[in-house]
Amino acid sequence: MADKVRSLNAALEIVADGCHVALGGFAITRCVMPAVHHLARAGRRRLTVSQTIAGLDTDVLVAAGCVSKLIYAGGSLDRFGSLYAVSEAVSHGEVETEEYSSLAMTLRFHSGALNLPFIPCRSLLGSDLIPPLLAAGTVHVQPDPFTGRPTLLLAPLRPDVAILHVDTADRDGNATLAGPRWTTHETAFAARHVILLCEEVVDQVPPDQALIPGSVVAAVVELPCAAHPTAVAGRYDYDRAHLEAYTALARQGPAGMRTYLERYVLSVPDHSAYLALAREDAAR
Amino acid sequence: MNSWSGGEMLAVAAARLVRDDDAVLVGLGLPQVAVALARRTHAPNARLLLELGVFDPRPAGEAMGIADPRMWTGSRAYGGMLDVLGYMLQGGLISLGVLGALQVDRYGSINSSLVIEADGRRRRFRGSGGGNDVASSAGRVLVVVRHESRKFKAAVDFVTSPGRRVAGSTRAAVGLGTVGTTAVVTDRALIEITDDGAVLAAVHPGEDVDRVIEDTPMPLLLPNGEPTVNPSPSVEELELIRGSLDPLGWYTT
Repeated sequence: MADKVRSLNAALEIVADGCHVALGGFAITRCVMPAVHHLARAGRRRLTVSQTIAGLDTDVLVAAGCVSKLIYAGGSLDRFGSLYAVSEAVSHGEVETEEYSSLAMTLRFHSGALNLPFIPCRSLLGSDLIPPLLAAGTVHVQPDPFTGRPTLLLAPLRPDVAILHVDTADRDGNATLAGPRWTTHETAFAARHVILLCEEVVDQVPPDQALIPGSVVAAVVELPCAAHPTAVAGRYDYDRAHLEAYTALARQGPAGMRTYLERYVLSVPDHSAYLALAREDAAR
Repeated sequence: MNSWSGGEMLAVAAARLVRDDDAVLVGLGLPQVAVALARRTHAPNARLLLELGVFDPRPAGEAMGIADPRMWTGSRAYGGMLDVLGYMLQGGLISLGVLGALQVDRYGSINSSLVIEADGRRRRFRGSGGGNDVASSAGRVLVVVRHESRKFKAAVDFVTSPGRRVAGSTRAAVGLGTVGTTAVVTDRALIEITDDGAVLAAVHPGEDVDRVIEDTPMPLLLPNGEPTVNPSPSVEELELIRGSLDPLGWYTT
């Protein structure tokens, strides 16, 4: 069995400027925070980010100026707030978006994983989401060859790199994930290079619980509390105070975001230092 | 308990439209409170699903959203979006979708993406998520909104999720296979959506029909005869909302 356990820095060397990176978070759960913090510190630029429902990981990466294009089905921080950095960047033309529905994103990853030329989908028809996607060339509406009815076809999605959060993984990358798994599975098979951030490296995962097989995994990074301040079901809750502090700053616009990034990302060497800082805040 | 908030009445009126044999996909907030209320009263067998891959949860406590693990408590099965939005919803197994909206129009089309301000500026909101999928493929679609003038439009600023008619076409003509929005429930009225447009089917207790029409800036048809008056919330319904479904009043006050 291959040993794919790497440091975060080593695992992320593959992410170059201009890369298409799929991120594994969903709003306020399983966001891949240490990875986006590292990419922000490394000053990566012009990344394309794909994520079914964008969350805190994408918002922070956009705030840090690393992203030029976002492929998603919308997103938020649930009741904590909107993706303020994304809204700000999109409204100023700094980030281009391709906006789909959740199922359309799921099927784009699924189709990419299957190496299909396209996949039909019964969503998006008749909506204003379609015209910009027709212009981008990622959807077509044409008659179903069997019935002649108008049918939507989606282009497949093959991210260069996927960064996904899982609970446990063995050293080969066979990984488990408790709770709902949105598009984690499809994304892992669609991406050309999969990096797992796991809470715990174990000797062996029960094979019938392995959601992602090591066959498609390139690197495993062990990072306890990797999703902080977002939640991981059965392990830890979101950090309410931290998320509230984030949204309070992000709502203020670029100056507020700068304050957050300086304090929690750019002046912090690594994830354990970030966690220490967050714990210090909590103790106050 | 002879008084209740608009949000409580909204939750009660929406809950009454959930059937015992429904499989329901919901967005966060009032839709979720309404379905939970239905399951605790007349529709104990209604199944609740969440798009990220949650089957039959019994949400515990006040959840911050569908991504909050509190929402998944008591689930009977976990899966992914392909299971819920693909196999279940697009597969035709979801009989009811309950969605919120920034704006809704006379045909029940929903905008949850952006609002165009008077100065032409676009304010962006959370986008489709699974909303467009639900509006495209669920058997019936219920839209729940607060009865604020800005929420009703003859035509929404942006069609995130199509209703009964879109850009002058029928759903079938654009390739959609389900009927789409069947009703809009607000804290003042029940508006049924038909292929001919919006019908003011009922108002909530204490509401004046003419005032409701005045405060609904989109074309409203009247049913044969007067709109009926919805029954008041029962003591049981109010106790359930206040005691366990929305104890902090996040969604219904």
